[in-house]
Order: sequence, then C-alpha cells, then structure tokens
Amino acid sequence: MKITLKLYATLGDLLPAGAFENAVQIEVADGATPNEVIDQHRVPREMAHLVLHNGIYVAPEQRDLPTIKEGDVLAIWPPVAWRLT
Amino acid sequence: MLDVQHLEDEQLLRYSRQIMLPEIEIEGQMRLLNSRVLIVGLGALGSPASMYLAASGIGELVLMDHDRVELSNLQRQIVHSSASIGKPKVRSAVHTLRALNPEISIVGLDRAFDERALATEVGRVDAVVDATDNFTARFAINKACFETRTPLISGAAIRLEGQVSVYPFDRAADSPCYHCLYRDVTEPPGSCAENGVLGAVAGLVGCIQAIETVKVLLDFGETLAGRLLLIDARRMDIHAVRLVRDPACPVCGGVTG
Repeated sequence: MKITLKLYATLGDLLPAGAFENAVQIEVADGATPNEVIDQHRVPREMAHLVLHNGIYVAPEQRDLPTIKEGDVLAIWPPVAWRLT
Repeated sequence: MLDVQHLEDEQLLRYSRQIMLPEIEIEGQMRLLNSRVLIVGLGALGSPASMYLAASGIGELVLMDHDRVELSNLQRQIVHSSASIGKPKVRSAVHTLRALNPEISIVGLDRAFDERALATEVGRVDAVVDATDNFTARFAINKACFETRTPLISGAAIRLEGQVSVYPFDRAADSPCYHCLYRDVTEPPGSCAENGVLGAVAGLVGCIQAIETVKVLLDFGETLAGRLLLIDARRMDIHAVRLVRDPACPVCGGVTG
C-alpha cells in the first residue's frame, strides 16, 4: 500500500529519490508499523522524536502497533534541544 | 512586594500601544507590573525574551545564568554587546534591560546551576521562562515548576529548527510536562557548538516565549498549553501538535488534577 512520508528539518536529508520538498510517496507492507517505516528509511530511532500519524502524535510505546493504512501520512520531526551535561 | 495600584502618566505613555489592546487594557498592564518572571538562561532565547518582557513592563524580572559573554555569542545573543565580552551574562543583560526600561525591577543571579536555588526562585515567581541549553537544567526547571505549580514557558532552537510549548501546571489542566515530551533522552541529540544555529531562528522562539508569558500572566487567548509548536525555518513550516501526558512520567505521571 502507498502512504506519504514527511521528514522535517535535518531529517529531510534522509528522503529517498522522488521526494518533493519534504514529502515522498512510499510503498509499505499491509499492517506496517511506524517503527518499521522509520527503520526502512534509516531514520535513527533517537532522531525520530515526534512521530505524527495523520497529524496525531504517536507515543513511543505505540510505534510498534500496525496502525498504518493506505493513504495515511506519517510525519517525523527530530528533537530540538542542546547538549546533555 | 510588588504593589502597583495605579499608572503614572509616563507609564500610560510608555505602555500605551499595548494598553490599547482589549486583551490588556489598564487592568492587564497593572497585572504585568505586579508580576514576577524568572528567566533561566540569558543566551539566544533569553535575550529576546528578556528584552520584550522588560519592555512590556513585567514588574520584576529575575535573571539566572552563570556564563560570561563570548565573541561567538553575539551573532544570536542580542541582549549582550561587544562591550560586554568577558563580563557575566547576567550583569550584561541587567545593564541592557535597565537602559530599555528603568522603571521595572531586575534581579540578576550570577550563579552556577543549583537545584535548591532554582526551587527557591521558582517558588516566588508567577511564571518561568526556560531559555537554557541543556537537558539537565531543563529537567530540573520542569520538576521545580511542576512541584510549585508555576507555569513554565519552554523553548529550544538549533540549526534552523525551533520548538516552543507552555506547561501551565494548574491543577485543573491535564496537560503533559516537559519530561513527558523528552522522556527517552539518553544521549545528546547535538549541541549548538556542533550544529550551529541561525540567530533569528532562536530569536523567533524567544519572542514566542515572551508572547506566551504575557498570555499566561494575563490569562487571555489560547496558549500553547498541551501543544508543541514546531518550527522548520528551512522551509518556514510551522505546526502545532497536540501533546499527551505520559502516565508513566516520573515527574507528573499518575498525578491527576
């Protein structure tokens, strides 16, 4: 099935060929999970800070659930903060 | 104790352009003049936030930082100037803010980060602006604000990205805290020195923090409570996403109302 993947800020560099601006249509398996899409596109898990499924925040413990459906939009933002001291 | 009962002619003139706003008026201006705000961090975010809050007539600004001004700060930390290089940031900021608005009280705390001192200061203000640059400080500020039920206006910026949110911590709200948002931080996602930051992006975040602080103090409009504003300046893409409380959060989890 086809879904739209949007990668924001520096994650945009990880978008595959065929992307327009920060979005790309990708093919994923039926019943795919957000984490499978994240791994498939080599987004480091610690950089997938905010995951939005059709605009709704997906908490880390929900990212292994097979919630993605045909035509959905998965958007990912990196963390924004400075160093740990 | 702040106790402004009426506005002098000069104050009416100084604040006239915001007193004209129906959300503020004279009553709101008096509330601002009777408010105390703690700003932790006088860097890229704290610079614009402190300047706009001083200009708007917050009665007392408490500034906390222990760094000194360096040449490489000046590209984004606009409360400081070349003449301040080598001086404590707090002293430099007090100097600028007093020149901007000599009628408010500005207290500078030039001290290393200390959780006990932080808890004391948080407990005596009406709102806290988190303009720090590290998770240790951010988590401690969040915890102190949660424990004292003091509203927290939190911002962050790096590269061309920014985030802002408000954690009201009032008992009626079921909104998350900062720890709910950054619950799994185990390693640094990057430092300013390693990644850089465009000064105006941090400025934008600091300005939004100042706006949200005024809204929190005057209780008007819709703040970013329960929402996170995401800014991607490379594409000038701005989103607000709804946040949820983490029931397992070590700071606010399990606490209702």
